[in-house]
Amino acid sequence: MTEVAEKKEKKTRRQREVEKLIRAEDQWEPIGATPMPEIPDLRNWDMRLLKTYAPWYAPFCDLCCFCTYGKCDLTECRRGACGIDIAGQQGRIILLACCMGMSAHAGHARHIIDYLIERHGEDYKIDLGSNVAVEAPHIRTVLGLKPETLGDLRTAIEYVERELIHLVSALHTGQEGSYLDYESKALHAGMLDHVGMEAADIAQIVGFKYPTSVADTPLAGLGLASIDTAKPMILVIGHNPASSTNVIDYLRQNNLYDKIEVGGICCTALETTRYSDSAKVIGPLSRQLYYVRTGMADVIMTDEQCIRTDIVEEAKKVGSALIATSDKACYGLEDATEKDIDEIVRQIVEEGKQFLILDHAKAGEVAVKVALKLAPQRKKVLISESEAQELAKVCRECEICERVCPNLFSIGHGIRQVGQGNFEPLRQLFDQCIGCGKCEEECPRHIPIFKIMQAAASKDTFKVRVGRGPIMDTEIRNVGAPIVLGTIPGVVAFVGCSNLPDIDDVVEMAEEFAKRKYIVVLSGCAAMVAGMKKDADGLTIYERYPGNFDAGGVVNVGSCVANAHITGAAMKIANIFATLPLRGNYEVIADYILNRVGAVGVAWGAYSQKAASIATGCNRLGIPVLLGPHSSKYRRLYLSKKGEDDWRVMDGRKAEVVDTGEPSPEHLLYVTETKEKAMVMISKLCIRKNDTPQGRGIKLNHYISLYKKYMGGGLPDDLHLYVRTDRDLPIVYKKEAMAYLKEVGWKPKPVLSLPTLIGTYPSKVPLEAVIH
Amino acid sequence: MKEDMMVLPTHRVNVLTGIKSAKVIEDASEYAALIRRAKRPLLVLGPKLAEISLDGKLLLEYALEIAKVVNIPLCATSHIKGKMVELGAKPDSEYDVVEIINHLKSPAWQGVRKEGNHDLVIFFGIRTDIGNQGLSTLKHFAPHLKTMTLCKYVYPHADYSLPNFRKDAQWKEFLEKLISSLKEEK
Ligand code: SF4
Ligand code: SF4
Ligand code: SF4
Repeated sequence: MTEVAEKKEKKTRRQREVEKLIRAEDQWEPIGATPMPEIPDLRNWDMRLLKTYAPWYAPFCDLCCFCTYGKCDLTECRRGACGIDIAGQQGRIILLACCMGMSAHAGHARHIIDYLIERHGEDYKIDLGSNVAVEAPHIRTVLGLKPETLGDLRTAIEYVERELIHLVSALHTGQEGSYLDYESKALHAGMLDHVGMEAADIAQIVGFKYPTSVADTPLAGLGLASIDTAKPMILVIGHNPASSTNVIDYLRQNNLYDKIEVGGICCTALETTRYSDSAKVIGPLSRQLYYVRTGMADVIMTDEQCIRTDIVEEAKKVGSALIATSDKACYGLEDATEKDIDEIVRQIVEEGKQFLILDHAKAGEVAVKVALKLAPQRKKVLISESEAQELAKVCRECEICERVCPNLFSIGHGIRQVGQGNFEPLRQLFDQCIGCGKCEEECPRHIPIFKIMQAAASKDTFKVRVGRGPIMDTEIRNVGAPIVLGTIPGVVAFVGCSNLPDIDDVVEMAEEFAKRKYIVVLSGCAAMVAGMKKDADGLTIYERYPGNFDAGGVVNVGSCVANAHITGAAMKIANIFATLPLRGNYEVIADYILNRVGAVGVAWGAYSQKAASIATGCNRLGIPVLLGPHSSKYRRLYLSKKGEDDWRVMDGRKAEVVDTGEPSPEHLLYVTETKEKAMVMISKLCIRKNDTPQGRGIKLNHYISLYKKYMGGGLPDDLHLYVRTDRDLPIVYKKEAMAYLKEVGWKPKPVLSLPTLIGTYPSKVPLEAVIH
Repeated sequence: MKEDMMVLPTHRVNVLTGIKSAKVIEDASEYAALIRRAKRPLLVLGPKLAEISLDGKLLLEYALEIAKVVNIPLCATSHIKGKMVELGAKPDSEYDVVEIINHLKSPAWQGVRKEGNHDLVIFFGIRTDIGNQGLSTLKHFAPHLKTMTLCKYVYPHADYSLPNFRKDAQWKEFLEKLISSLKEEK
């Protein structure tokens, strides 16, 4: 066989394999250019994005310590012994982070799908209700598969797993060298992450019969005080609902449903409230150590992700029983999966043992039985103000705690003040504290800072709207046109963890945009902290705004894996509103979103590698993400240099390249220091090339008014870049803006009929594919 | 060991691992000389300047005074512009901290007054975490310029940094001396 024929044969073999996996004979949509893409397949799209949104690196460490050649110092353009430079090394770390984050979700997906297949069989049908026909936009778009059963979700995860091997192998010493290629691979990982998250959440929804296609989901209790401390309490921590649902099942089957309190920290809390109407959301990740150290939990049950890795010791300190249930987080505990239940319970209660139990039904039963036995023996009270004051008196305000605090708080001052009977500074700090525990760890006087915080913390209870899962197709139909035309100014998604500069930030930002009739979407810990503030009438944001995906709605989609529904909604706009086929058509869909769908992700308190991969997945799909100040430590942003960059696009209908000079969206991944700046930036990042004059006018109206409100008056100095004709100017600011435009010598710009990047870079996708 | 002599930052979240770290300067006149010597300095103002005051005088007022004495162009980050306007000052440019750093990275950039890229960039009033990350970017990717900080902690990624001032009074004294030295040299 000639080399060419061999190559062809090889290609068709791969094609044939892909076609079998995605059931190509099903003709529901034509198959696009890249079904089940491998790393090189979307590389040109990535390079096009990276040309405008160049990686910006802020190394956290100047060294590479990856191999035994090193460590190598990479400062001042030095190369490592393997040849890598500092940009390459940063790209490598980013890819590593994205692979870790993506694997966490995909590992969860794989586990929950296998678990549910065992329960229901692989032919168990996916049914998300009558309002969701496009059940899996990511799986459809990336794989080209329309998943119909749990078995199909496994196919999706198997594809993610296959790709992951290639991505991780590229991290090895002496492999990839270019930072741009590392970034392209990171973007690939981010894309796969959304596939994994989608598969996980769909499996959970159908397998556990979560609410779906409901906008008005119930309100669940939020906060430690929502727990009835007179009852035994089980605290679940993590992300995987296989364990907590088994606790609930056991309670239901044994008539104990209202006799035991089940509360959760992190996403597993949101999952549990989707399964049980009496479960409580104790709070976000950042309060984990604080809640654990109150000792309120009789039993702590961990599953996977976002668990403090010292949970074993922490539980012991306060006399809570600990049961680990995931192979991802065994904590060195004895595996009791095969042991007799009563014997496990006895050893926990009488001997204070902690166990790993990998059978979820067994773990659920043990948790309940232990809680019932332990609770009567335990005294659960928060410390009093006078006790706190006594403990705080030892503080010498040495400030050692302050130096290790990632939030740079004057924690010592707060403690000292408590010693003098003034709780206010510590109360304020508590709302800003990200709960890392470093202050207490370092205090040379061993002051129990977290315990003292109990006296300062609010004892209020709050409400959070239970996660709702995917956005309905009917809702997409209603908002598709207004979003694309710009009359709904944008979709702002608050996602990510809770290491926020201030716990009130997210709710303030969400409220600002809900009031302005943006669509506000939340997930994970961000969704929880948004509920942790009440207005003068004692209502939380979830009680004041409707939960539907429409202008002015405040929507909690659910846990972190439900983030796939947010990006999925943007994809569904392309499909349902613009009738673009999703199937294997990633580039076309991403290009559509980049140019037309004014969606912005805000990870104000991102912390984990999962957040890195989620954000990177948003970026590949053309959705900009804005980060809070801690996230500068992710080391990489995607920034344009607005006035100087190449903003040419293709006018799809005329097949002509047009120089718009318009930096929209201006950045793909951006970090800012304050919520004030964040709000101004969010409004700007919602601007898209396709806005109609009316829509642009509305978007500029918000941009200018937020600028005036938070930046101190005047007009933004880049306003002229976003005005194409004077019809774009909002009426209220028209006079002022016209004067400004004249001053800077603004000239009208061409109006585009169908802006697209397709056709401006090498791609397998023909220009006709974007015309609809 | 006297702490100020160590290069370790007070805020230990910023611990440096590498070989190149800031020259810590305690003498305000030395700082003044460095600023004087720069051809095209830039002062980047952060939001903390509107939050912190030393003996009732806002940090922003110190910053504006420094800029005035030596005619340094100003870049307002985050939402500091509002307070500047209140105090009757106008920034030469508005970029958020990562944006200005992104521009500074390219030697060919024309600077905030379009007179060419800057040779000395002074940061003042930025959160230490994001500030130090940004300084790391410049340390690695902008060898054509020098960086300096005016906050009261060691910034290991800068070229010149203040020491860890234990007390605000020391910081205040430094800033006052800096202003007077700049005036003297005028
Ligand atoms: S991987 Fe390369 S840069 Fe890193 S330690 Fe090894 S040789 Fe040095
Ligand atoms: S480290 Fe301990 S003693 Fe020192 S200031 Fe902090 S709480 Fe007080
Ligand atoms: S627990 Fe809170 S106050 Fe203590 S170091 Fe961490 S963030 Fe700072």
